[in-house]
Amino acid sequence: MESRSSKELEVPLTALRDGETGILTSIKAGPGRGRGKGWGFEKRLMDMGLTPGTRVTVVKSAPFHGPLEILVRGSRLSLGRGMAERIFVEIEKE
Amino acid sequence: MTKRKLVIALAGNANVGKSVIFNYLTGLHQHIGNWPGKTVERAEGTLHFKGYTIDIVDLPGIYSLSTYSLEELVSRKYIAVERPDVVINVIDASVLERNLFFTLQLIELEAPMIIALNQMDIAKKKGIEIDTEKLEKLLEIPVIPTVAIKGIGIFRLLEKAVEIIEKGRMAKHVEVKYGEEVEERIAKITKMIGEIQFWYPPRYVAVKLLEDDEEIAREVNRIDPQIASTAKKLANEIENLHGHSCSTVITSERYEAAGRITREAQKLVSPIKPPIEERIHTLTTHKIIGYPIMAFSLLLMFYSIFTFGDYASELLNNFFYGWEPLFASLFGTGIVGKLVWGGIIEGVLAGVTIALPYIVPFYLILYFLENSGYLSRIAFLMDNAMHKIGLHGKAFIPVMLGYGCNVPACLGCRIMETERERLLAAFVTTLVPCAARTVIILGLVGRFIGIQWALMLYVLDLLIIFALGRLAFRTLPGEPTALIMEMHDYRLPHLKTVLKQTWFRVAEFIKIAFPLIIVGSLAIKFAEVLGLLEPIAIVLSPVTVIWLGLPVIIGIALIFGVLRKELALIMLATLLGTTNFAQVLTPVQMVVFTLVAMFYIPCIATIAALVREFGWKKALFITVFEIVFAISLGGVALRVLALTA
Repeated sequence: MESRSSKELEVPLTALRDGETGILTSIKAGPGRGRGKGWGFEKRLMDMGLTPGTRVTVVKSAPFHGPLEILVRGSRLSLGRGMAERIFVEIEKE
Repeated sequence: MTKRKLVIALAGNANVGKSVIFNYLTGLHQHIGNWPGKTVERAEGTLHFKGYTIDIVDLPGIYSLSTYSLEELVSRKYIAVERPDVVINVIDASVLERNLFFTLQLIELEAPMIIALNQMDIAKKKGIEIDTEKLEKLLEIPVIPTVAIKGIGIFRLLEKAVEIIEKGRMAKHVEVKYGEEVEERIAKITKMIGEIQFWYPPRYVAVKLLEDDEEIAREVNRIDPQIASTAKKLANEIENLHGHSCSTVITSERYEAAGRITREAQKLVSPIKPPIEERIHTLTTHKIIGYPIMAFSLLLMFYSIFTFGDYASELLNNFFYGWEPLFASLFGTGIVGKLVWGGIIEGVLAGVTIALPYIVPFYLILYFLENSGYLSRIAFLMDNAMHKIGLHGKAFIPVMLGYGCNVPACLGCRIMETERERLLAAFVTTLVPCAARTVIILGLVGRFIGIQWALMLYVLDLLIIFALGRLAFRTLPGEPTALIMEMHDYRLPHLKTVLKQTWFRVAEFIKIAFPLIIVGSLAIKFAEVLGLLEPIAIVLSPVTVIWLGLPVIIGIALIFGVLRKELALIMLATLLGTTNFAQVLTPVQMVVFTLVAMFYIPCIATIAALVREFGWKKALFITVFEIVFAISLGGVALRVLALTA
């Protein structure tokens, strides 16, 4: 599942600096093991409002590679880092 | 003939004030149990209104009606199969779009419904104005604005619900429309579903099939594999058209629909005042300051619980034991008297002197923290640490509970999403030194050897939790899930709701723990009266004396410790005839005894909680594992300490 947007601009959510906003392009999940993957993971993210095209703002992240605090559709979520690494966004240009 | 009995279900996201509304509606006429065969809580209550007896079912707080969690599955089935007369969808006005996403799914389930637009006050503070009439028109569903914590709008809500029911089933409300290419395919599948019997509405099944919903695909496949495979083919077509999975497409379009309605019905103005909640949030989740604040809050919490608990527990003990002479004069000090007093009454006392002084304040503070929103911040801060043992941040909450008492901790593991994580978290919490174990650690090692040794035992305990947690995480089949959690705005908890939640938890604790404590205490008393304890201690002596290097008599103390851990210490004093343990035990023996007491078995009440949550087999496995582990650890500790001494 490749997104059509230009590759250079597409970065994982974890690459955003505190306060930066990106437009969600894709969630790279799929079958397999490992942290952040697992059952229904993609569906769950989307149910919480993280669908392609959505604006996601990273507020901050907890220290020592902790979870991210993000704003999406008017709600504040905390998101495990392993998951955030699989969410790809295009950084919004001012 | 009018139907005098009605059923109303409350449904909505977590933290929208659903339980506050539930409490307003039902008062103390509540019953909290489990959904049949599931570890999902079912809260029910009754009220009387306009000549009706109304049953209110509070569904779990969820974000979707997919099959991500047991809660979602249970809710969906309940609405579709048991068909409540009306569903009150409680939504948070301050996060309208995401809440409407759930509303749209209820609409797709074709449930008769009304909306409680709650937390209007918070929305206003955040500068969000909602045109309720417009919302009503757009959704074709009655919308009642409410501020549940002040009781505003609750009466109207109930009136409206009854009115809707009296008018008969509502005309079909607005349909969630997807893109043309999706609609085409939905129509195809809907037609096929219409020809078979299914408990969900045909269109809903069609949409869910395209979304690749596990449960529904399985069920449909059982009835007619043809439909399932057609749906799969159609889903693939959509995927090819859009370049995203079909489930992504449908979810996105549903969110788009929610977004459209939100934009039309809501107006954003500048917030009324600079929100102090926001500043508290920033501080309590701060990279550096957040941790000392958390440590301080937790220490304060435990310090006040233990101080209060100690005091209240002693008071209760003195009060109850004051009756012993009177009791003895009534029943005598013969076998019957001993059994009744030592078995039943002391069993009850044991329960009461734990439950009231410790569990009650514990739950009070816990619910206060949870409802205020602070627990979700703690989970945010601790996520990384919990990942080390394969759990995510939310698991810190039951672990923290474990320091008070393992029983609520085990029950608290329900907040985890999957069965695997519930079990893993419960296993870890049984290793956490609860209040009773703290009594042994501080009362024996802390007092007679030195506080630094007691602290070392705590550190050792953390290391063991870490090691065993990791081991369990590696051995248990399945995959870890990551943290996805909402951090709702800080707010002042609704006191009555906190009190009621506490009350029902304490009642649950009593129900689970008391029967086993009493039976256990009776059994041990029986053995004592029959003179069986000493033979048992002798049977145990290869382990206690040879392997652990402890006095024979300690076997008896350890048996008592199963009832509640601190009894092990109390019995030790009784059996050895002194509370000055330094006279009868060497420091090494004290450390070994404490180590064994810390780990050797979850106490009987915890076993009961484990059985209830996970069944006999798993509870037994954890128990046996911990006995073997504790004994091995004690023996190793003895030999290591002997080397260094």
